[in-house]
Amino acid sequence: MNPTVWSVIKSEWIKFRTVRSTLIGFLALVVLTLGIGGLVALAIKSHINDHGGEGRAAFDPTSDSLVGLFFAQFAVGSIGALMMTSEYATASIRTTLSAVPKRVRVIVAKCVVLFASFLVVGEATVLVAFTIGQAIFKGAGLSTTLGAPGVLRSVLLAGLYLALLGLFGFSLGLIVRTTAASIIIYAAVMLIIPIITNFLPSAWQNVLNQFLPSNLGQSMMSPLGTAHSFSAWVATVILTAYVAALVALGTVLFVRRDA
Amino acid sequence: MLKIDHLSKRYDDTLAINDLDFEVKPGVVTGFLGPNGSGKSTTMRIIMGLDRATSGSATINGQRYQDLRTPLREVGALLDAKAVNPKRSARNHLRALAASNNIPFRRVDEVLEFVGIASVADKKIGGFSLGMSQRLGIAGALLGDPQILLFDEPVNGLDPEGIRWIRDFFRSLAKEGRTVFVSSHLMSEMAVSADEIIVIGRGHFITSGSVDELTKSATGSVLVRSADTPALVRALNDASALETLNDGAIAVSGLSAEAIGEIALAQGIALHELTPQRASLEEVFMELTSDAVEYGQHRGVEQ
Repeated sequence: MNPTVWSVIKSEWIKFRTVRSTLIGFLALVVLTLGIGGLVALAIKSHINDHGGEGRAAFDPTSDSLVGLFFAQFAVGSIGALMMTSEYATASIRTTLSAVPKRVRVIVAKCVVLFASFLVVGEATVLVAFTIGQAIFKGAGLSTTLGAPGVLRSVLLAGLYLALLGLFGFSLGLIVRTTAASIIIYAAVMLIIPIITNFLPSAWQNVLNQFLPSNLGQSMMSPLGTAHSFSAWVATVILTAYVAALVALGTVLFVRRDA
Repeated sequence: MLKIDHLSKRYDDTLAINDLDFEVKPGVVTGFLGPNGSGKSTTMRIIMGLDRATSGSATINGQRYQDLRTPLREVGALLDAKAVNPKRSARNHLRALAASNNIPFRRVDEVLEFVGIASVADKKIGGFSLGMSQRLGIAGALLGDPQILLFDEPVNGLDPEGIRWIRDFFRSLAKEGRTVFVSSHLMSEMAVSADEIIVIGRGHFITSGSVDELTKSATGSVLVRSADTPALVRALNDASALETLNDGAIAVSGLSAEAIGEIALAQGIALHELTPQRASLEEVFMELTSDAVEYGQHRGVEQ
């Protein structure tokens, strides 16, 4: 690798790990994934035989052990956005760009640091969440293993989903430059748009919903696939394309704008 | 060598900098002087590649800042002491800067020691006073041991001891042969800390020169007191502009003290006082920039 890019990555890594908000964000990610994931798994287990067992039809031991991710994704998006917006809020972007005037390098370095740390922490967290979930389901004879078809893939793609969302938050921070606006847009996309599409005719819903990031995530982490959604790999490609397009747009703006 | 080449910067409909063109030489402290809002900071930001020039260029040894391989080793700058993340410690802030330009961490400890904040190196920057933040900014500027140093309003917020320290520091940097470019809106500060001065107003170049040249170029008057003021007024009237002051003295412009003394001798008029009034740099500055102050007060407001 180009030695200069490598030194910028080292610099961004020092910056990333030396503010407490990073640690708090990762802590939130782990606690929400494991805590809420565990609680939801317990609830599913105790209700699975209600109403003559109709819950069993929709039950999937893999994705149902990873439900905590849909809460943790807000922590991930916030850390991603803050990586950029904190630089604008404190004006430290000027110091950063004085040290590294080649702006694309700054973006590359920030993306590498963010993506790598989310991937490592994300994968570790989902593996633990999966293990806890299976331990809970085992009592009801419902558990699965990483060796079952599609399960390992789903668990690994769940970690990737988190890392991609981190970059999604980052790209919003890069484009809008304030923390509040980034988090509002992020929450709108992840939370509010899915509610709005619920009011659409179901034919439209079936087409549109599968393109929403949260549904793509659901597709990525379910081993067997569900109706009206993309396969895990197609969903991964689509989400990656979204993120790449947004980071590219943000980079173009970043290079053009006065700091 | 820092070279500003026909530099202009337009923000929407305001021309913040209009065709600035000058060079900053090594070995001296060069003051960059102008009222607030005259374009000093914009110029500095363009030099650092933070803002884009609308036309013209700013180059460091012939290269644009953006093209420098390890910029911190060539240019050190303190533009805004508060442009740091307050939640990071001073040491970590400097380490991140050092890492980006392949500067060894031991240099971080050296500069912390040099600016006198080693004892608070592991404290969060957010708790620093402005003076300590300025010192941290200077530490950052020195990190790569650069030949060119830029400081934007460095004495703002410093206590007298800090101001003296920073003046001596600029002198010593210049003495080592470095290029030191310091902006200020205070002529009095530049008069004591700079060797060369570049004056701008409303984005325009106004004048440049050494501190001495600038004061000399100003038209000073001569204060004269005589036993026979009416005779002296008659004698001088042809040659110069006179102003009679309240206490009977007259202020003569347009003649040197020597000339006045000789005219008085020729006319047999005894002089009691003959004092050249050297214009202060502050006055020179006010005179030079009075047309160029962006938010200047209107003169002669109706009573």
